Amino acid sequence: MIKDHVMKRAGPWLRVVAGSASFALPTILGIVILNFLFLQLLPGDAVDVLAMRSGSATVESISALRVQTGLDQPLSGQLAAYLSRLAHFDLGVSTQYHLPVADIIAARLPDTLLLVGGALGLAVVLGLLLGSVMASLAGRWIDRMLSGLLMLIYSTPGFWIGLMMILLFSVKLGLFPSAGSATIGTRLSGLAALYDKAAHLIMPMTALSLFYTAVYARLVRATMIDVLRQDFILAARAKGLHPVTLIRRHAIRNALIPVVTVAGIHLGNLLGGAVVVETVFGWPGMGRLAFDALLSRDFPVLLGVLLLSSILVVAVNALADVLLGWLDPRILTE
Amino acid sequence: MAFGTNISRRRFVVGLSAAALPIGLSAGRAGEQGSIPDGEPRRGGTMTFLLPYEPPFLLSLFNPASLVLSAKMTEGLLEFDRSMTPRGQLATDWTVSPDGLTYRFALRRGVRWHDGRDFTSADVAFSLRTLKKVHPRGRLTFANLAEIATPNDHSVVLRLTRPTPFLLPALSAEESPIVPYHVYRDGDPLANPNALSPIGTGPFKFGEWSRGNYVILERNPDYWDPPRPYLDRIVARVISDPQQRSVAFETGTADVGYRTPVPLRDVERLRQLPTLEFETAGYTYSPPNITCIEFNLDNPHLGRIEIRQAIAHMIDRDKIAEVVYFGQAVACPSPIVPELAAFHDSSPSPYPFDPDAAAKLLDDAGYPRNRDGMRFSLTLDYPADETFHHLAAFLRVMLGRAGIWVKTRGQDIGSQARRVYTDRAFDMQLASLSNLFDPAIGVQRLFWSKNYVKGVPFSNATHYGNPLVDKLLEDQAVETDPARRVAQWREIQRIILHEVPDLNLVMPRWYTIANRRLKGHSDTADGLEGNLAHAYLVEK
Amino acid sequence: MERPMIASRKLGSPVKDGIAFFKESGYLSLTVGGAVFAAIVVTAAAARLLFPGDPTDMVTTPLLWPGQSGLFPLGTTSLGQDVAAGLVWGARASLQVGILAAAVGLLLGLVAGTLAGYCGGWIDAVLVRVIALFQTMPPFLLVVVIVAIDEPTLRTISLAIGLAGWPTVARLVRAQVRSLRQAEFVLAARCQGYGTTRIVLGEILPNALPPVIATVSVLVANAILMEAGLSFLDMGDPNIVSWGSMIGAARDTLRIDWYLAVLPGLAIALTVLSLNLVSDGLTEVLSPRRRAAP
Repeated sequence: MIKDHVMKRAGPWLRVVAGSASFALPTILGIVILNFLFLQLLPGDAVDVLAMRSGSATVESISALRVQTGLDQPLSGQLAAYLSRLAHFDLGVSTQYHLPVADIIAARLPDTLLLVGGALGLAVVLGLLLGSVMASLAGRWIDRMLSGLLMLIYSTPGFWIGLMMILLFSVKLGLFPSAGSATIGTRLSGLAALYDKAAHLIMPMTALSLFYTAVYARLVRATMIDVLRQDFILAARAKGLHPVTLIRRHAIRNALIPVVTVAGIHLGNLLGGAVVVETVFGWPGMGRLAFDALLSRDFPVLLGVLLLSSILVVAVNALADVLLGWLDPRILTE
Repeated sequence: MAFGTNISRRRFVVGLSAAALPIGLSAGRAGEQGSIPDGEPRRGGTMTFLLPYEPPFLLSLFNPASLVLSAKMTEGLLEFDRSMTPRGQLATDWTVSPDGLTYRFALRRGVRWHDGRDFTSADVAFSLRTLKKVHPRGRLTFANLAEIATPNDHSVVLRLTRPTPFLLPALSAEESPIVPYHVYRDGDPLANPNALSPIGTGPFKFGEWSRGNYVILERNPDYWDPPRPYLDRIVARVISDPQQRSVAFETGTADVGYRTPVPLRDVERLRQLPTLEFETAGYTYSPPNITCIEFNLDNPHLGRIEIRQAIAHMIDRDKIAEVVYFGQAVACPSPIVPELAAFHDSSPSPYPFDPDAAAKLLDDAGYPRNRDGMRFSLTLDYPADETFHHLAAFLRVMLGRAGIWVKTRGQDIGSQARRVYTDRAFDMQLASLSNLFDPAIGVQRLFWSKNYVKGVPFSNATHYGNPLVDKLLEDQAVETDPARRVAQWREIQRIILHEVPDLNLVMPRWYTIANRRLKGHSDTADGLEGNLAHAYLVEK
Repeated sequence: MERPMIASRKLGSPVKDGIAFFKESGYLSLTVGGAVFAAIVVTAAAARLLFPGDPTDMVTTPLLWPGQSGLFPLGTTSLGQDVAAGLVWGARASLQVGILAAAVGLLLGLVAGTLAGYCGGWIDAVLVRVIALFQTMPPFLLVVVIVAIDEPTLRTISLAIGLAGWPTVARLVRAQVRSLRQAEFVLAARCQGYGTTRIVLGEILPNALPPVIATVSVLVANAILMEAGLSFLDMGDPNIVSWGSMIGAARDTLRIDWYLAVLPGLAIALTVLSLNLVSDGLTEVLSPRRRAAP
């Protein structure tokens, strides 16, 4: 009763959030259990990998490791242990790094968010810009040229673009460092640190954002052409509203809707899925962490990254819902 | 010199370690150091050490995969010069009794752990005991170790039940690290955090470790051998992409990397750069791996010697070295690589490259070609990497020409381990195996029938068993006469070459690639795996 | 209600109008993209005729540059394999991956999307959860894990990519089906007493499909790109030449013999480009607005 009352008073915004949360929690629990069981299908375990990497092993050293990592327990016991730890907000200990998973992820999070968030932010801004230009000039040569260029970017393997950027900007021109997320071992601060970070970030961020820029620009162009054809716009145009004002005031809002929806999912997915770009640029991000964890059969880390990425997808989706409500109030009342 | 004489030390060197034959007479004395090239070393600067893989720990007490950085922080009793002559590290003097059963060590005085405590014989006794218990190779090395006595704080006596001819070479920092007893006093040594942030006696102290990214080691100002170390700091940087590693050397981001850390096709190109230097020394202690095909002898086809001979006849090792390795490898039919010179048998394979002979063997064995030209099919498993992809493709084509259809499976090492060593669901596997500092450690495990153990990587994967080879392997492990030991290993190689339970292909050439501003990095038998106390930068 | 798009244009000659219509309506990109893609498919189909031998065979001197030998116009790999043969046979493998992956994604997505959209209720609730569940998993990571679970064969890779791609299709289909469920013609069909199967297959799906069809070519394109990404991480099928595996194998020699990576890279870009053109064209051609136009 009280809940209902609160819900009513808090209005539609809270309803969206609460709705997302009640949807999210079971989803996330399902994800955790499913991921856990799914990873068990992988041949070999963390101890096999440790023994292979060691170059030497004995029956005793292997069984000692299995006991230490808890891999000697039956599967149901391992799952129960994992869930009960999770209930206490404990993600377990990495079998590869021997540190709490939360610490490892926390250490990688800033750089990952910087790369993925930066790349997607750049892509959204550029996509909106290019998409609007293309839509307002639809059919003209600028539109055709930009379309062609974006299509080409969209069609080229990402790692290939990355490798070419390194050859051009790092090796030939010496403009940017080729790998890493910061100059190691220097205690930079203030502006110098910022500059150092930016120099390292610019290439991987651009390489990652190119593909999404193309995606969003195409999306914006298509939506905007649709919007521009609609009656209210035609009416506004007939009233003599300047085309730029028209786009700024009406079209962009509408074009943002699909972009925000898609970008939300992309953000979550890229958090653990930017493996290739991170590998090419040696960026110590979450994608490479997940991939290395897979190769090492480091399930606690892999599960942690997957969990984080799904929480982020769910959270961003909820945020996108709110944002969409703001962009288009009709959605909320649905 | 606490005990012993030069004569007894000389007897050890000549008598027990065949690998150390050449320079044995100038055996080490306390604090004696190797020659340092290129004038006066200067202090200061940061060296960036490029790593293709990150070690799981920073200490190799129980995990040998961790030895790449271990020796910089945690030292051993001995170290070895380029020709494997031992010299003192934490030991200042040592003697071995003529029967090879008693080892006496005088320990270095005035050595302190990084936390300020004194280093004593209790640390040594604890470390050796622990190594025997938890180190996968230590279990074998110290198998005959019955008693560790510590008559005083600065001497240790080891008593063995049977001779162990490879015991002294095993006392290096990376193979048998000496750890602080006071840190380990309680609890499970495997769970001790010291493996992640080691306290040692070495020239460098643990600084910072950003997982998957870099490790920073700082100069130890209280090192027992001043003015060493010369470097202020070592940054070990993990770069997993091979192309990126090339770029790092070109742009000067990396100062040094070992075991040819760049794509093989890039070697000659990088060699032309005036800033870089290619060094082949520093691989005596841990020689380059042997690349081989291991046959599953339980497979009905591969169990027959004539099939294995036929496969051997289809292998052109020089071509593999030239095409797959871009010339950066040496043909090697023996399981012991040429770098392990004392034991290596350089006689050629009895089955040279000869497709006609292969075809005849297969025809005679009752495997006619079918309509597609194929006789039977086999799988070839390998851990997926660039070079193995090419090697597997090469072998697939060559065996296909003989009518053997090969399906290649390149997978990650977890799958490989499970398939080959646990499930034994494989026909052939490509492996890169280390001889280590003595064939008793690196080679015996592959051919000894008692080492056929399911679930254990790098055991006897082929399921080979030959009573004669077994006896030879067991004899050499306790043989005190180096000449006879070498003869035993020659005989083992002869039999293996003839029976081909595995087919040894090539030994990749390992280069240390270094920026010319870095000096003194490869003066020891273990090169970059050593403690780097002598390394210095000519300009900062 | 709906307004033909060219209505706002100035009236010109019929020919000019025709060309303009052709250009704007999407038929141009559909034709160009379709023609290029068809050419690629034909080349792939004719691989056995064009290059009868095994494309992985080591036929000649390694690392011949394009143009260096008349017999091998596009050069040879580091093992002495013919690059031209590799490209043609690689088209087969890459298209196979693309089409198989798209088929898996499409099938799963159609079934789940239609079920969820048409049935609604708890079926919808469950399916939406499952879709959401899959969508929270980074697709590339999912593919990598599935390939690591099984062997890196072309079939596994295609299946894995398909599995990663189905939620997109399912969401799209669900939305379409939901909006059509209450459409007048569906209600009419229901009134006439048509069975559910007939309504779904005969009335709803044909009308829901147009945007889905347009995504198929994107699915194919993404699958080809993803296979290349897998090869980059050493997770491709080593027994078969695909464009992805060619690029993967060329990484070692990238700095010196860059043509080995550029040629298959161009092949991928060209194919994906043609598919995206087809998709764009289809979107325009099949859009309801367009169909309402004269």
